[in-house]
Amino acid sequence: MTRQATVAVMLTLLGGCMCSAQAQTSSKERIEAFAKLPDWSGVWEWDVHVGQSEGQQLSPEGQRKGQAYVAAMHPAFTAEWQVKYDQAKKALDAAVAAEPDQPPATFQPCVAPPFPATALPGMYEWRVTPEETTLISTMGSVRHIYTDGRAHPPKDELWPMVMGDSVGRWEGDTLVVDTVATKRQIRVPEHPGLYTIVPMSDQLHFVERIRMVNRNEMQIQLRTEDPVALAKPLEVMVTWERVTDTNRMVNENECDPATERNPVVNGRITTVVP
Amino acid sequence: MRRALKTLIGVAAMLMASAAFAHHSHAMFDQSKQVTLVGTVKDFEWSNPHCWIQVLVADPNDPKAASVEWSVELDSPIALFRRGWKPASLKAGDKISVVVNPLRDGRPGGQFVSATGPDGKPIGTVPVAPN
Repeated sequence: MTRQATVAVMLTLLGGCMCSAQAQTSSKERIEAFAKLPDWSGVWEWDVHVGQSEGQQLSPEGQRKGQAYVAAMHPAFTAEWQVKYDQAKKALDAAVAAEPDQPPATFQPCVAPPFPATALPGMYEWRVTPEETTLISTMGSVRHIYTDGRAHPPKDELWPMVMGDSVGRWEGDTLVVDTVATKRQIRVPEHPGLYTIVPMSDQLHFVERIRMVNRNEMQIQLRTEDPVALAKPLEVMVTWERVTDTNRMVNENECDPATERNPVVNGRITTVVP
Repeated sequence: MRRALKTLIGVAAMLMASAAFAHHSHAMFDQSKQVTLVGTVKDFEWSNPHCWIQVLVADPNDPKAASVEWSVELDSPIALFRRGWKPASLKAGDKISVVVNPLRDGRPGGQFVSATGPDGKPIGTVPVAPN
């Protein structure tokens, strides 16, 4: 082997060793990054639905909690927006009164619910990685919360999206999530399953603080901000409990519109019987 | 027929039961009433977003009359699975007794409350929470 060839081989081997060492360091750093993250594994559900029956009736405790959530989820609007809310609520009430047997569809069955999608039936699962935390729901929604240090895209690269654009950071074991570019509306619960949909301004913005309080309970503190529409930010604490009777996540959004038994007809939920 | 059916079924007032805080209202069901359907399963639909039991209910006062087919709405498959149900928990021909909150408009349909199989035992493992 010539001297030139020997040097080439040595350089190749050295390069290989350096790459390998680099990969090992990278892998080690990644393992350490994972180790710093909280363990949110398992399956979760909103505490309102714990003990719900096969017929979808809430437990007495679920009813009590549901009523408390309904009260907590009513925002204080600015004078201008109070008028908009009153109009929307009046329209909802009129629609309910007109055909109480076919209530308005304020959510579309078989369509994944929009942001924040954390206070609904179904079950949830987290995927926590150093770069991203993903929230998956059996109702079909998926949220991507980027924790790799990125900022929101510039304004000219954003548009109203079902889940908006979320970036997060860890403060100890609490994930702080900032969300913009959702659909410019909020849903105010009025009765079980019925919401007043209120259009909001282009300054609608959400901040969540998410943490596992103990092995069986998670808390999601959701702050809704809109200085144009809201007289003050709306703060709601949503509690989840660990599901202990199954560890199976199933996509419940796999409905077939052709055979759907509760189709939306003229904006109303109907029931098909033979 | 409907009048005859009303003699067949037991209608009981109950405490107001709140429907789920759900993605759609269940206002079409009269939750102040319970109807007990005794009949034969025609079909058990294990489907999203809701499972359904189709049950044929005969009129005991008029054996020659055609059975009435009722549609019973339940929760989603995984919600039922969590309470001990499986896709084969019911099959066509099974004799069952089903308690429902009936549709307000009088059509033969309702929201599931509870069910017992031919052995008289509840279907599923978790009893319906009292309201």
